[in-house]
Amino acid sequence: MQVFMLNFFAPAFGLIFQEVTSGRFAVAWDKAQHPDLSKFLTIGALLFIIGVAGVLTRRNIIVIFMSIELILNAANLNFIAMSRYLQDTGNVNAVAGQIFTVFVIVVAAAEAAIGLGIVIALYRNKETIWVDEIDILKW
Amino acid sequence: MILTGWEAVFFWVFSIAAIFAGLLTVMARNTIHSALFLISSLVSVAALFILLHAEFIAGVQILVYVGGVMVLFLFVIMLVNVGSEERGSEEIFNRPRQVTTSVIFCGLLVAALISAVNEGYQGFEKRDADRIQIATEQRLIRDKSLDKSATGSSRITNDTGRLASSLYRFASLPFEIASVLLLVAIIGSVMLARTLKQEAAVDDVDPDTLQKEFAHDPELGEVQPKPGA
Repeated sequence: MQVFMLNFFAPAFGLIFQEVTSGRFAVAWDKAQHPDLSKFLTIGALLFIIGVAGVLTRRNIIVIFMSIELILNAANLNFIAMSRYLQDTGNVNAVAGQIFTVFVIVVAAAEAAIGLGIVIALYRNKETIWVDEIDILKW
Repeated sequence: MILTGWEAVFFWVFSIAAIFAGLLTVMARNTIHSALFLISSLVSVAALFILLHAEFIAGVQILVYVGGVMVLFLFVIMLVNVGSEERGSEEIFNRPRQVTTSVIFCGLLVAALISAVNEGYQGFEKRDADRIQIATEQRLIRDKSLDKSATGSSRITNDTGRLASSLYRFASLPFEIASVLLLVAIIGSVMLARTLKQEAAVDDVDPDTLQKEFAHDPELGEVQPKPGA
């Protein structure tokens, strides 16, 4: 068992040692100290994926709605980051991303109001909030 | 747009907080905990907006999302009964096969997105390097003419003013349409959330349906349409 683990870990340690000496970690650390547009876009992508995973995996319709809010918020983060980048390149009308974000927030609020009204009506008629039990349109 | 010093530290703190809170939103068993984690995720993203010099959007995010939408969510969670979920007697995720498939799909998507973002940004950086340098120098000169804040450590920006003037200059028609959309949403949600009793009170139900429901629920018969309705 121990010999097996040694066999498994030795190449990994060797790889880490190689990376440290070749200075690639130093470059990564330096980049992490100066976050740029790509870091913001990566965070936006991760939030988006978490929201998509929530929509696909959860059974509770309210949590699915909250995951949709998370998705819209990730899109907002991308808009704002791109808007800041355009401001830094000296672009004219560089706040277009921020204006679009205002409208995304408005639409998200309207969507939440309508969606939650539907959830209440549904709960009154079907007595359930599990999406796999709401199947009256299933053929 | 390269953050340095404390801005970089705050970037990492708030982005990790946003992602962890988002994960917990999706994985929490109790729906109210889910909503509270979503609130903390939204606040962290608002902090990221402040780091990106979008102070107005950060304020709107906290006021509208946290103050309005999430309170609505909490109301609805408390209106519908989620007791069995809290006791742990119900499965909160879909069937294991569906969950596995979607997690694999999401993993592939995240790998593709992150590699695409990094590749694409390198191209951006090369293309715009000289323009960024010129614009940064111009901005440093322009910032010197701004007023100092009360503490004297920073300057008062005019980003919000620029956003407002652009909003009314270039996007005034969508702005009006958004107000109509909100009105429609208010009326629609009031219509959707009415009970049959409330609908009968304003004489807004099909008579046949009312007769059918009256057989199940004798209380409905007591409701008389108001004379003014």
